[in-house]
Amino acid sequence: MRNTMAIMQRELLALFCSPIGYIVIAGFLLINGVIVLWTGVFSPGKAATLRDVFFWMPWVLTVIVPAISMRMISEEYRSGTIESLMTAPLSDFQMVLGKYLAGVIFFAIMLGATLVYLVLMAAYGNPDLGAAFALYLGLFLIGLAFTAYGVFASSLTSNQVVAWILGWVPLLLFACVSYFVVGQVEGWLRALFQQVNVIGRFEAFSRGLVRIDGVVFFIATAALFVFLTVKVVESRRWR
Amino acid sequence: MIEVRNLSKYYGSRAAVDDITFGVDEGQIVGFLGPNGAGKTTTIRILTCFMPATNGSATVAGHDVLTASMRVRESVGYLPESVPLYPEMRVREYLRFRGKLRGMDRAARESAIQRVVARCWLQDVIGRPIGQLSKGFRQRVGLADALLHNPKVLILDEPTVGLDPRQIRETRSLIQELAADHTVMLSSHILPEVEATCQRIIIIHEGQLVAQGSPEELRAKVTEGTSLIAELKGPVTDVSAEMRKLAGVTDVHAQAIDGWTQVTLTTARDVREDVYKVSQEKSWPLRELRRDIATLEDFFVKIVAGTRV
Ligand SMILES: Nc1ncnc2c1ncn2[C@@H]1O[C@H](COP(=O)(O)OP(=O)(O)OP(=O)(O)O)[C@@H](O)[C@H]1O
Ligand SMILES: [Mg+2]
Repeated sequence: MRNTMAIMQRELLALFCSPIGYIVIAGFLLINGVIVLWTGVFSPGKAATLRDVFFWMPWVLTVIVPAISMRMISEEYRSGTIESLMTAPLSDFQMVLGKYLAGVIFFAIMLGATLVYLVLMAAYGNPDLGAAFALYLGLFLIGLAFTAYGVFASSLTSNQVVAWILGWVPLLLFACVSYFVVGQVEGWLRALFQQVNVIGRFEAFSRGLVRIDGVVFFIATAALFVFLTVKVVESRRWR
Repeated sequence: MIEVRNLSKYYGSRAAVDDITFGVDEGQIVGFLGPNGAGKTTTIRILTCFMPATNGSATVAGHDVLTASMRVRESVGYLPESVPLYPEMRVREYLRFRGKLRGMDRAARESAIQRVVARCWLQDVIGRPIGQLSKGFRQRVGLADALLHNPKVLILDEPTVGLDPRQIRETRSLIQELAADHTVMLSSHILPEVEATCQRIIIIHEGQLVAQGSPEELRAKVTEGTSLIAELKGPVTDVSAEMRKLAGVTDVHAQAIDGWTQVTLTTARDVREDVYKVSQEKSWPLRELRRDIATLEDFFVKIVAGTRV
């Protein structure tokens, strides 16, 4: 436990002590700001809801989340520090978990920064706090799953940029395919896409519905990718 | 403390370590010597549980590296060849992180850090980011990390590479001090290095173990069958015949050099005194008597050049 925490703390420190952490947060807030202006949710007469803003959020997160996790494992391989980690008394799972948790915490902090919009809305209007909660829960769950996938991508290479692309492109394709293709196909393919339809599942949350199968889907996806990351890290010992 | 049995490691179809067997006793300083690419780092990485062996087994501090990996990792302090560190961390921060990784609580951690910082002369740089340190200091930070949990076994992969002569001397004496309560295995490709620090030397080449023993034993192995060169003032045939009579002489080669006779003797033991006695008895003046000593360096070079001893 202590060693998992040690990894997590070091990872957070690395994020907050390097430009990357700030670039990611700044980029995220900037994109959000642009979306807020563009959707004009703060114009008079509009309903006090963040739904329109956050409609775009999953797409933004496909880019942002892999940037948080891109160097987590790849950089250990590139610099050789993986050798001192893997010869210290902690299991590969503890190492991956520590890094994953750091990614999740960073994501939560970043997401927390957008609460300022909610606060502003509460000051000037009357937002539905229950719906806002569901919205944030949905985003947090997406963060859980995307971060796990980002860490997984980072374990596949020793190049951060490659890790970012390996994280971003498949997530984007996946989100697009499952969102736009799901209506175009029939039969088992449709059933499959409905299951993995990240955006579709998020839309339920953004309407204020906390769906238990959605919660299970995101958490299971996160667990799957944490598990796969451990397997990749283990298998890299044999090379 | 370290037992290695028929260990092999293949990268693809190439053997980096090929069926090596050796043991290291408690309290010893053992030098693991071999030219570049001999398989030292590969062996060490297997012993420190970084990678599994293809064949064979190894135990460190009584624990099998494959089945009791965590126990091995707890008992070993390891300094990897490239001394990987996080450049953005400060020295103190890094050592705290490593202490936490090893499960030490705050009190144990702080006292351990104090101990290793004093041991490795890190007081002056403790608050500096590691990325700003010179190679020598980085090496010391790596060593401090390896010592943090006071391990039974220390495994150091080329601990003095890239250091200046003074730092080499300091590191050497530190390693010797450490041997009082740790078993130390260090690798090197420089013979004088291991000769100066180690009680036992294990030489590997192209993944195979070619010789092991104390420096004295290895030297004896080398001096065995050395040749003795003597120049006496006497007839070539007579000198040659007398030399052949000496016990322990297996081969004699004689030649005349401006009125003197130079004999080259291949001997199994030291016959210098006997040669002197012959010179006395026969009244053949003696103007040269020297052993053509093969040094450990020659031995090592021969191994590296591919001649097995
Ligand atoms: N990851 C790897 N993949 C493929 N081959 C490797 C790998 N690591 C090492 N080798 C090969 O295995 C052999 C032994 O390498 P090793 O690093 O163990 O040598 P070494 O004795 O430590 O050499 P040096 O003195 O240069 O550090 C070399 O021929 C090397 O090219
Ligand atoms: Mg090496």
